[in-house]
Amino acid sequence: MRKKVVIVLSAVSLAVPIADAAAALSATAAKKVVTKKAAGASAQANRWGTVTVNVTVRLTTTGSKTTRKYLDLGGSYTYHTDRSQYIMSQALPILREEFLQAQSAKVEMVSGATYTSEAFVQSLQSALTKV
Amino acid sequence: MAAVVEHVMGMPIVLDVREDIGAAAVDRLWNWLRWVDAIFSTYKDDSEISRLARGELKLDDADPAVKYVLGRCEDLRRETGGYFDTRATGRLDPSGFVKGWAVGRGVTLLEAAGLRNFAINAGGDVWLAGGGLPDFEWRVGIEHPEQPDSVAAVVEVRDAAVATSGAYARGEHVLDPHTGEPPHDVLSVTITGPDLGVADAYATAAFAMGDAGPNWTARLRGGYQALTILADGRVLSTPGFPRAD
Repeated sequence: MRKKVVIVLSAVSLAVPIADAAAALSATAAKKVVTKKAAGASAQANRWGTVTVNVTVRLTTTGSKTTRKYLDLGGSYTYHTDRSQYIMSQALPILREEFLQAQSAKVEMVSGATYTSEAFVQSLQSALTKV
Repeated sequence: MAAVVEHVMGMPIVLDVREDIGAAAVDRLWNWLRWVDAIFSTYKDDSEISRLARGELKLDDADPAVKYVLGRCEDLRRETGGYFDTRATGRLDPSGFVKGWAVGRGVTLLEAAGLRNFAINAGGDVWLAGGGLPDFEWRVGIEHPEQPDSVAAVVEVRDAAVATSGAYARGEHVLDPHTGEPPHDVLSVTITGPDLGVADAYATAAFAMGDAGPNWTARLRGGYQALTILADGRVLSTPGFPRAD
């Protein structure tokens, strides 16, 4: 199978909304802005290690309408070898930058097929479900 | 109800539901996928597929679902000129069809519970039912094969499958069954269409064909469309590919 070996996910972490660092501020009386941070599940990126992605989103509520803008993407990783440490340390900043580009396309799902990024996509997907 | 993630079949599966739904229907989905995993997993020694591969189980004695799936895989092998082959690695492995087929059956369970607008993402292979309410359609990003988090293209679809087969870091997993070599010249193939299992098998086959894939996908019938990203940077898609960007 192409993808079967790719990800082993810790199911436990799914249930735990890790960070809810909310910085609320009020611009006008009618407009409410809340910034939320949510962490995705840790995903096993095959032999490279595990990836955990977190997302910072700004929710702007005007009346009954809420818009969301993804502000930042962060992540952490574990690694098994020097080589996988290198790969992950290279990958995460790239993932972060490209996430910020990709989010402008406002996609709701991602179709793809790669090792580390598949783990990333899944962790990101689970982070997105929490904000 | 928001999205939920469950770890089934060796991967996290995301279900994004845009309507109210009872938890029972969602449980039926996960239970069905767990059953599929128990029967079809190539990583479980006691699955029927593992026992078939070792010769301990005869196909006649296998679960009807196993017979059906292997029959469909054989259809797909012929249809793809042998490029989709459950024995490409030398060992019986119908996983390339099973995942999409299982999700497709899961979709019917959710629809039977009255759901019309939801999405399931199983390891990058996606089924989009109805629309991403309040939007009429769902917007699905196709991961860029060389830039792991950027989106190479966006499709907008309703009631459709989107499956992607890709190369790098996994080249050793998709081989051209005719040469035993990973395909050259192509980075990824995305197929959209009415059935996720078939779309996934077509994506795998078209990817294994290398630069011959785009011509093959141009002849697909039954509502299947393709987008191929070649190693030289060209992006080729069939005329009806539901590209949004």
